[in-house]
Amino acid sequence: MSAEMLNTFQQVDHPILPKPTHDEASRQEFTKSFKQFIQQGLLPGLGPVFGVRAAKAFEREHGRSPSDRRDIRSAMVKDLYFQHYAAANRIAQELLWESTNVTIDRELPELIEKARGLSASAKGKLDLPEEFDTPRYVTSIDIHCMPGGYAGAVAPDDISTGALYDRGVYLYAMGYMGPFNDDMGRSVCNYVNRRLDGFKPKRILDLGCTVGHSTLPYKELFPEAEVWGVDVAAPQVRYAHARAAGLGLEVNFAQMNAEETRFEDGSFDLIVSHILLHETSGKAMPRIFNECHRLLAPGGYMIHADLPPFDNMDPFTQFILDNETWYNNEPFWGAMRETDQVALAKAAGFPPESVKFDTAPMAIMEFVAQQAAGYSQDASAAVSDREFAAGEYAPGGGWEVLIARKA
Amino acid sequence: MNAHAPQAERPHVIRDAKGKRPQFYEAPGLDQAMSMIMVLANELAVLHDRLDSAERVHAAKGLDLAAEIEALQLDQAALEAREAWRQDFLGRLFYLARKDASEAAAADTAERFRATIEDIAKT
Repeated sequence: MSAEMLNTFQQVDHPILPKPTHDEASRQEFTKSFKQFIQQGLLPGLGPVFGVRAAKAFEREHGRSPSDRRDIRSAMVKDLYFQHYAAANRIAQELLWESTNVTIDRELPELIEKARGLSASAKGKLDLPEEFDTPRYVTSIDIHCMPGGYAGAVAPDDISTGALYDRGVYLYAMGYMGPFNDDMGRSVCNYVNRRLDGFKPKRILDLGCTVGHSTLPYKELFPEAEVWGVDVAAPQVRYAHARAAGLGLEVNFAQMNAEETRFEDGSFDLIVSHILLHETSGKAMPRIFNECHRLLAPGGYMIHADLPPFDNMDPFTQFILDNETWYNNEPFWGAMRETDQVALAKAAGFPPESVKFDTAPMAIMEFVAQQAAGYSQDASAAVSDREFAAGEYAPGGGWEVLIARKA
Repeated sequence: MNAHAPQAERPHVIRDAKGKRPQFYEAPGLDQAMSMIMVLANELAVLHDRLDSAERVHAAKGLDLAAEIEALQLDQAALEAREAWRQDFLGRLFYLARKDASEAAAADTAERFRATIEDIAKT
């Protein structure tokens, strides 16, 4: 990506999104700029610093070259340049949440009331059980350092962490996900439309949907389909339901665990997830694959858009990517990339020949065509056309998808 | 703060994330200092944006505030007010240096501080 790329991507307001004041919005925008600077200005220096300084220091100390991502990490954590890079990343992440939380805290009771009103007006269902066990991989630490995590709640019918996530995703992704944060869902929809020989899903399930930002494009692009989003966190699901209502889309949301939903066998012909798997656990992941197989009708597709495996990546790339595990409260990020996802899909019952990794091209150029605010031709093309660079947000060009079809 | 309910009765969001924060620097305190510096840089950017907004609002109403600012000639009173503000600001910025110098002038020491504590405890 060119160093001059000016990222002006803007999130589009919608009814349930918190409304920052001028200064709050400016403070939030700065955190996005800070992340862009880290990616464009600091990240590229890590390679040279490793080559000329940290690797040599490691060799002096150990009498051998650093050979894997753990060696590289042990060498780099002692280098001041890396310390600044990693600290800056962490601080940007903390400021992103902090600056957004100020707005939500100021508006919270009004936001909750507005969500109640929007939900009451919605055509789509909202299914929240009275009792629910939130899995430990979601509650034990706050993923992404998001205060409260996905499921944190401070008031009846709380939606605060949903609101926080909606704004936070835009800032974290620096707007690369589009004005409605829906690039991943849109990209997978496009993939289904263009690559699956005319397959038209009738019942679609989005697992781990959080605020439904990836779920809504499925209703938009397959308007005849019945669309469900499920998540383990009630504040996310409530917010998702109000958000969809505010955007005028009839989508159903439920608090359910993707490992064991309450739907009947064969209920869906398309099951998707977007950056869900890496936030689960070693035991949960195979259970989710099994559940997908159970829930699909014959001929139905399972598509998980998530992180590509570490295989075939050089150790330095692995090291950069693994920083998220250590510094951004992503406990399963590294281990997930070492999991054989193809084997899991086969073990769940999907025919081996139907299981593969593929790329779903990013939809960002569509936002330029829609003349979305801040999505300039130059900046959007720069995001869309760049080469993969570890440590940048999202792989250049497209999302990695694991796809399998039930026999 | 708001017209809806007393602040004490309003729910508040969770402000800190669960999960032990790593230390990036070896020097004690530097992690906190860096985060404070970035918060200050953030507020500086907010101020910059606010002034930029003011200029743009004025421009939209027909007053080219940016050009007027460029053309502004400071009179003696303005020069003095600006300089006084800057000196006061620098004085506050360097308050520890001021304290250090005043301690030196008074030949004050940590030993004297400890001695005073012991002395006061006894008398």
